[in-house]
Amino acid sequence: MASDSTVMVPQKAQTRPKRHFEFELPDKTWRWILLLPAVIVVVVLLAIPILWTLYAAFTDLHLFRIGVPTSFVGLKNFDTLLHNSSFWRTVKNTVIFMLGVVPAQLIVGMGVALCLDNITRGRKFFRTWFLMPLMVSPVVVSFVVGRMLFAEDIGPVNEFLRFLGFKGIPWFTNSTWAMVMLMIVDVWQWSSFMILMLMAGLQGIPPDLHEAANVDGATAWQSFWRITMPLLVPILVTALLIRIIDAFKVVDIVMVLTGGGPGQATETVTLAIYRTGVKGGDLAFGSSQAYFLMIIMLVFGGAFLFMSRRALGRSD
Amino acid sequence: MGIKARKRLSLTISYIVLGLWSLILFFPIYWVVITSFKSQVDFAVKSRYLPFIDFQPTLNAWRYLFVERLNWFMTPFMNSLIVAFISSIIALVIGSMAGYALARFKFGRHNNSIVLGFMSQRMFPGALFILAFLVMFRELHLLDTRTALVIVYASGAVPFVVWVMRDFFETLPVEIEESAMIDGASRLRIIFRIAMPLAAPGLVAVFVLCLIGAWNEYLVALTLSFREAITIPLFMQMQVSTTGYTEWWNMSAIALVSVVPVMIAGMLLEKYITGGLTFGALKG
Repeated sequence: MASDSTVMVPQKAQTRPKRHFEFELPDKTWRWILLLPAVIVVVVLLAIPILWTLYAAFTDLHLFRIGVPTSFVGLKNFDTLLHNSSFWRTVKNTVIFMLGVVPAQLIVGMGVALCLDNITRGRKFFRTWFLMPLMVSPVVVSFVVGRMLFAEDIGPVNEFLRFLGFKGIPWFTNSTWAMVMLMIVDVWQWSSFMILMLMAGLQGIPPDLHEAANVDGATAWQSFWRITMPLLVPILVTALLIRIIDAFKVVDIVMVLTGGGPGQATETVTLAIYRTGVKGGDLAFGSSQAYFLMIIMLVFGGAFLFMSRRALGRSD
Repeated sequence: MGIKARKRLSLTISYIVLGLWSLILFFPIYWVVITSFKSQVDFAVKSRYLPFIDFQPTLNAWRYLFVERLNWFMTPFMNSLIVAFISSIIALVIGSMAGYALARFKFGRHNNSIVLGFMSQRMFPGALFILAFLVMFRELHLLDTRTALVIVYASGAVPFVVWVMRDFFETLPVEIEESAMIDGASRLRIIFRIAMPLAAPGLVAVFVLCLIGAWNEYLVALTLSFREAITIPLFMQMQVSTTGYTEWWNMSAIALVSVVPVMIAGMLLEKYITGGLTFGALKG
């Protein structure tokens, strides 16, 4: 391929007139031709919806009310939102979900990644196998896996607990356990992301650093906290941030596994937005909820970045 | 304890942890597989764990899926397949072009800001888009069509493709392209004959990741499709919510048909996929 264009082209160019698809444009033109389609797609299909939703949040737009002029209502939607206890419940649920899921994934991810880094034989096998959950649709996971395994009467999880002498857990009828079940399903699926990210980070640490520390008499514990961790922090922060953002967006497993129930115990913000905006047709209120979620995500993401930066500054 | 003994101990613990986590990941898959060979009687009183010992496996679910109700399942399957492939191809073409431009050309000093602009779109929660999409595609009379899903999935994947491919093109040596240019090759020729073939591993990884994303997507499909253009995740959900009583053996067979191709593709391309997943993040 390379030889074809490096050797043949100049000869052809000298002996024959240019074939018409070999038209030449200056790079200045090329860069725009290459970049613009992506820019147009992103602006039209991502940026405009974002702005439209912002606009909708300040109006009384409704999906099923056609022909009636839309009017601006100012901050009315947000005012309703802040005084809506059922919405606050969904915010609380989402934050609890995130606070449960992200640390659990960090612990599993760190533990497994360290073990994976420690071994040599079979590493490729484990790495490939750990990729599996990321390929599976969350709907399949929650359906078949969640609904079947956690079934209260004859699910394997409860049967195992009874076998150990415990009582079966009311996974679907008890508010707390329903949330725990969602967290377990999410940890099952997304710990792999943490594992792969941290694994990539660990592979980037030169082994002679640990050897040198070993020679100097450092324990494995010291070596981990003084060498591994500081070098791992940038990736750790990125991975955690991605997981935090994703945890705030959670909706599919909730919708399929518990439908937000029992009662409203596991309803997340995105599920609430779907219910008011799409099902209920209240576009304006749904939009204000969506922007509120965005604000919460920014606050938590920003706080996390700020804290990790401060923690970093202190350790240096 | 000597160094050797300690080394052996830490290896043993490592393998135990890895084995345990592998088992946790494996059991649900095993459960789906055996459930697809069960029939209604196997759901009475207690769970059955081992085929041939606990229960007599039957092919009922598979016969039901592939012989009796093939058409019923084929619609969502083909929808998912078409939507995933076309949207991923579009995203790949548009995104890698922009990725190339951002890696090789200067846009003033704004290259990084442009990439950041692309990436910032991914920060926004999906819930922020579905309402706008609902109204937009209603106005365009595209609700419940595969076209709508293709448009949404392709545009949603473009920022990711730009991000990863830009990094990927930057790791490729620019010298090859420069020498081709001195030899008189046009820019188009350089892109298609040199840059794209060299970037093939990255392109494959990104393509498969887009494919998986579109194949598994749920919220947008739920919002925009309801009868004609339903995808597999939607189809599965409908089977349960409408009946209340669920034929788990049939559901398991459907789940396997929808999951296994993606799973195998992903695991065969493990090296590239892991690279694609972690590549952008490592640089950021």
